[in-house]
Amino acid sequence: MRRDVVVVAVIWIVLSVLGVLFAASWDIYPPRAGVEAEHIDEAIRILMMLAAPVFMFVVVMMVYSIWRFRAEDEREEGPPIYTNRPFTVSWLVLTTVLAGVLFYNPGYVGWKFLKSNPTADLVIQVTAAQWHWHVTYPQYDLTIKSRPIGFERMDENQVLALPAGRRVKFEVTSDDVIHSFWIPALRLKVDAVPGIVTTMYTTVTETGSYEENSVFRVQCAELCGTGHPRMTMPVVILEPEEFEKWIEEQKEMQEMGGMMEEEEEGH
Amino acid sequence: MLPVFRGLLWGLIGFAIGALLTALVRIALGMEPWVFGPLFFVGYLFGLAGWLLGVGVWDTWMREFLGMEPRPYKEEGWRRYFGFNTDHKVIGIQYGVTFIGMFLLAGLLAMAMRIELMRPGRDIFDFATYNRVMSMHGFLMVLVAVTAVPGMFGNYFVPLMIGADDMAFPRMNALSYWIWPPAAILLLLSPFFGGWDSGWTAYPPLAITNEPGQMFYNLAFFTGGLSSVVGSVNFLTTIITMRAPGMTWGRVPIFVWSIFMTSIMSLTATQFVGVAMIMTVLDRVAQTAFFDPARGGYPLIYQHVFWFYSHPAVYVMIMPSWGIMLEILAHFARKPLFAYRWAVAGMAGVTALSFTVWAHHMFTSGMPETLHVPFMATTEAISVPTGLIFLAALGTLWRGKLRFKTPMLFALGMLFNFLIGGLTGVFNSDLPADMHLHDTFWVVSHFHYTILGGGIFGLIAGIYYWFPKMTGRMYNEALGRLHFWLMFIFFNLTFFPMAWLGLHGMNRRIGDYPPDLAGMNMFVSMAAFILGASFLIFVYNLVVSWIRGPVAEANPWGARTLEWATPSPPPEHNFPRVPEVLSGPYDYGVPGAVHAKV
Ligand SMILES: [Cu+2]
Ligand SMILES: [Cu+2]
Repeated sequence: MRRDVVVVAVIWIVLSVLGVLFAASWDIYPPRAGVEAEHIDEAIRILMMLAAPVFMFVVVMMVYSIWRFRAEDEREEGPPIYTNRPFTVSWLVLTTVLAGVLFYNPGYVGWKFLKSNPTADLVIQVTAAQWHWHVTYPQYDLTIKSRPIGFERMDENQVLALPAGRRVKFEVTSDDVIHSFWIPALRLKVDAVPGIVTTMYTTVTETGSYEENSVFRVQCAELCGTGHPRMTMPVVILEPEEFEKWIEEQKEMQEMGGMMEEEEEGH
Repeated sequence: MLPVFRGLLWGLIGFAIGALLTALVRIALGMEPWVFGPLFFVGYLFGLAGWLLGVGVWDTWMREFLGMEPRPYKEEGWRRYFGFNTDHKVIGIQYGVTFIGMFLLAGLLAMAMRIELMRPGRDIFDFATYNRVMSMHGFLMVLVAVTAVPGMFGNYFVPLMIGADDMAFPRMNALSYWIWPPAAILLLLSPFFGGWDSGWTAYPPLAITNEPGQMFYNLAFFTGGLSSVVGSVNFLTTIITMRAPGMTWGRVPIFVWSIFMTSIMSLTATQFVGVAMIMTVLDRVAQTAFFDPARGGYPLIYQHVFWFYSHPAVYVMIMPSWGIMLEILAHFARKPLFAYRWAVAGMAGVTALSFTVWAHHMFTSGMPETLHVPFMATTEAISVPTGLIFLAALGTLWRGKLRFKTPMLFALGMLFNFLIGGLTGVFNSDLPADMHLHDTFWVVSHFHYTILGGGIFGLIAGIYYWFPKMTGRMYNEALGRLHFWLMFIFFNLTFFPMAWLGLHGMNRRIGDYPPDLAGMNMFVSMAAFILGASFLIFVYNLVVSWIRGPVAEANPWGARTLEWATPSPPPEHNFPRVPEVLSGPYDYGVPGAVHAKV
């Protein structure tokens, strides 16, 4: 009996240490491109490290019992143990402490960080409508619009560009139903709700593009009807000079497009 | 005429009366009379009343109310299942067959979804159809998960386990079952009216502007909710007032406790979702604009009201299965249920806290920011009472004499799956992590681990455990084990990779995904097909064993609770005389202990 406890404790401690080390070093995360994204991946990593000993405890107790405490004959009965005060009380204390710890960090601390800096030098207004994104850069007087053409024709779609190294504020709303503005590479999403404006702040860090990894895209994450899976557009994150160039190109293209439209109307 | 047919006929007549009245009122008000929405809404409410009257309410309550002799439904053989039968054991079987059928249908829809998601791009569905199939799968499964265990096992075994001869209100019990067919008819008809494409959560404004098939969902949810309320009043009254002499609160089997706590949640929270459904329908048919910002409404109100029910509802889905799991662990470890009082306290704690966590579904919804931290705190606090269920389970296994029959395998499998379900849920309760993981396949993985891996594994454990009692025949043990291993392994291979998919940017409720996620999706689909196929073994085993399995003894497991102290299947009034309870139900290893004299 005492031996069983010791064996289980040793196996549990060994596996927990291994599990925590594994969770700490496991690079399971797709590319990320923001300061907030780093904190969010860190939160996931801390939670995995906290989950490892809990997972191991239950599994070790279970597997050990299955292996060690089999009935030899059908009518055999176990000892009439109804409870065990030290075990139950320490269980309750430990689970409460654990819940408190993970509430504080990564929960409370992480959230405080995400909300700590509501300033930005680049504002981007996003209006969702079934099933495209209107993206406005008010400081540059530029509006672009995605088309609901999905992943097969992603290369033909309008691209949303962000400058690396700048802090961005997204102001999100919707013209019809509820959508959700999600850029997986930034690890952030916020719903686009008709009638209200929701906001999302991030400091963009790395360059990247949809061709590298599909996390560089805008994805509608709230079911919004038939075109929901196609409500996506590529994201490209550029060095600041490249970004300025991109803005100019877009404006030129729009002017040319506008002239062509006028010509067509003239015919 | 079988009462089902009379119910259908009266239901149709009711529908016609309601629709015509509405048309007349609209003419009187100078409005266009033949508009589908309002006519259908009022017609359905009248039709529901007509159906219930026809199927049994007229013969029982109404005749009595009018001073006539009531005509209770008394039939034998297969016919007893097709009328307003008040025997709790018949009602248990009615619920069981109906909801297992529904489960298999919804499972087929899941297979269709995995065919579509096998490769990126469009395969068998266009996106509109995919959304409808997904919505139907989700909603049917939610109904199954909420209803199957309390409906089938709650009705069948709560009276038996507390030594009663029936439920406290047998006619209300029959009513709770016969409310369901109109909901089923609505869901079957919905695709002919465009179906609905807003998932099982049906957030407005989408749920107001989409096809009229949406209303069928709203009214089906409302109808099912009525049944939950009626059923839970009955469970609470039964457990409080019908316990046999000596069945003190400290001797009530843990499964009965789980149904007791579940009923508290169903009784007090279901009204909220009913209100959410009716408000959505009124926005559509009567331009009330509750959720329309252009006319002073606020779309997020729906989410608050909806989740105020639907979060407690996820505990309604899992708690009765905790009860089954702990019951089976004690009887198959042949050891007293460890820390019984703590387990009951855990269930009570979850029940109380379940009402305080709803907005954790709304961390990215744009709700006021003062709400985030408090809801993270309550959600993470609920892990403490949930942990007590694990405490009881592990403590019971420790130093027991374990017997690995199929019910035990499923109970152990459930413990493992629910562990992963609980741990993945912590990530969603964490505000920073949820910014990324919300509405992705991570969440799909998480709730299938809790509801399929937990709730439905518990349901299946219960089916194998109580099959001999309910049918009087034994299932095939070898097939049962084969089913377990296939289901357990391929369940995990299906749903664990989904967490990875979510982390890597695959959002949920989506008929297409970026090509770089193709490999993992193919793997998930393959695993899912084998998981689906494992149910063929299950159904084959149940059907063949029910028809010609070996005859079961009264107590094949040597278990101590009262349902095993009466023949399999139990006679009409359960026990020859009122049992006298002498001690707790789990006194294994205590020489000479007797739970009850029957
Ligand atoms: Cu969408
Ligand atoms: Cu919830």
